[in-house]
Amino acid sequence: MATEQDLQDFETQVTCPDDFDDFWSGTLELLAGISLKPVITAEPLRSNDDAHVFNVTYLSLGGLEISAWYSLPAQGEGPFPAVINFPGYKSEPPVRRDWAKKGVAVLSVAVRGKLKSSSEFNPGYPGLLTSGLESKENYGYRGVISDCVRGVDFLRSRPEIDPERIFACGSSQGGGLTLITSALRPEIKAGVAGYPFLCCYPEAMTMFRSYPYDELACYVRANPDEQEQMLDILRYFDAVNFAPRIKCPMVVGIALDDEVCPPETSYAAYQALSGHKELWLFPNSGHGNAHDYPGQERAWLEGQIGLSAATS
Amino acid sequence: MTTAANRFWSQTEAILDEVPADVRVQRDDFYSQPGWDVFQMRYTSADGYWLYAWLSVPKGNGPFPAIVRMPDYASVHDIVYTPMREWAVVMNPTFRGQRQSDQIFQAEFPGLLTEGIEDTETYIMRRVFADALRGFDALLAQDQAILGNIAVTGAGLGGALALAVAARRIAVHAVAANTPLALGNPASLAKGLAYPLAELDDYMRLYPDRKDTVKQNTADLDPLKIARRITAPVLLSVGINDTGLCPLAFGEKLAERIPDCDFRAYHGASEGGGHEHAQIQLSWLSDKLGLG
Repeated sequence: MATEQDLQDFETQVTCPDDFDDFWSGTLELLAGISLKPVITAEPLRSNDDAHVFNVTYLSLGGLEISAWYSLPAQGEGPFPAVINFPGYKSEPPVRRDWAKKGVAVLSVAVRGKLKSSSEFNPGYPGLLTSGLESKENYGYRGVISDCVRGVDFLRSRPEIDPERIFACGSSQGGGLTLITSALRPEIKAGVAGYPFLCCYPEAMTMFRSYPYDELACYVRANPDEQEQMLDILRYFDAVNFAPRIKCPMVVGIALDDEVCPPETSYAAYQALSGHKELWLFPNSGHGNAHDYPGQERAWLEGQIGLSAATS
Repeated sequence: MTTAANRFWSQTEAILDEVPADVRVQRDDFYSQPGWDVFQMRYTSADGYWLYAWLSVPKGNGPFPAIVRMPDYASVHDIVYTPMREWAVVMNPTFRGQRQSDQIFQAEFPGLLTEGIEDTETYIMRRVFADALRGFDALLAQDQAILGNIAVTGAGLGGALALAVAARRIAVHAVAANTPLALGNPASLAKGLAYPLAELDDYMRLYPDRKDTVKQNTADLDPLKIARRITAPVLLSVGINDTGLCPLAFGEKLAERIPDCDFRAYHGASEGGGHEHAQIQLSWLSDKLGLG
């Protein structure tokens, strides 16, 4: 198990490319040129007394159609605060009806490659982490990150959503995407990143032999001449390089016995945050299984949203 | 076991008997490691459906103990990852509709739990249990490794599948089942549960006239009905706040019926015992498989 001292002693070799901001502003410009074309379809099977659930599609980078679950409070007319929920690496996005009773909308994004968004891009599992690694322009995560950015744009386009109260959360890959998207979309007012993935690739791929990071080690073993280029490209997609650009309050949750996303690498992302930040450390917990994490995440976000005790 | 459940399992075995497993194994050079080889397995299950599994085999001659990790209720099953893969053969079989076993049918999540539930002949989950049995049979049939004792593990749906395989296959030496899915048990039909069990309530809310159908067509899958047939020792864990997979009262009944059960209840939800139990399970499996 890592100790707090291990986290503090860790130094990543990741540096930020000189053209990092140019690359991402160029990507955002590309996105701005693509019409969102949202389509909202009621899902009566998933709707209940608390939540009206919809399937949403919108267009993202490359014109790909991205799906999401969209849950709205059944009571009230809004505008509602909203939480955007980013998915893990291998899990499908959940239908989140739990916030509806509190008057909060949730968009649960199926980034490209997820079942609901796989018709044109489907690297499978394992596979996403090395998909398109030949160039930063074609790397799969450029699209995945764009899909998250567009989810925020979707929420901001909706009259039933309060654009001043959009919040983000996710665990594992969803944690990494929470950090990255919050840097690219300052409209996100606060976020919780649990067990964040997508941090410190050079170290993460060698600290444990677990997937998904081990996909990178396998890639290097198969393509030893491409390691330097691969690590250079990954700098553009490393949450550590996005973290200083995040302006909103952010929580990073870390399990000290995490053998999927090494605690040291997640801590490096926390350290790189320059705004208001909180660190939650979970001793004797592994990846995604800290008993207290879900409750803490919920309580912290409720506080940020400004929900009163009366709505609890 | 009820007569109806007995008939279901007999029919399932008969359906599997009609289809040769036709096991095919190919080394995966990309994911193989210096300490173990990774293979892609393909084999056929009920209805001639092709299924996929990851297989990991330690370097050396064996025989090796083996661990079959049954799949969760999810679109993908892990590529083999466990610290035990250096010493044990590890197989991660999928069920129909999961990634790499989805040529004909692509499962939806949520959605799989009620797919075809209108009729026992079309209810997909009945075939998912057949796929679990066939996965175990495919491990026995492969020719990449000589096998020693075999343990079956799983969480959620995978926990229920592990128990079912143990009840039907005498070659199972030990079982580690975490938060086994209560599908088929009346506890799964309650209101206010979390996903995935909440899929059943979603369906009954939209089709209130089909409540009896749901109850009848899932009933044969109730883990309680096969629990007494399990002869292998079972390590069973639950989370006392779990409402989506294995409600506590169901887990306690299950523990009572399993003849040799080491039952652990943790202050958790669907993650069950989480990290603490993962360490206990690792030690328990090592002991049962002679690795300790």
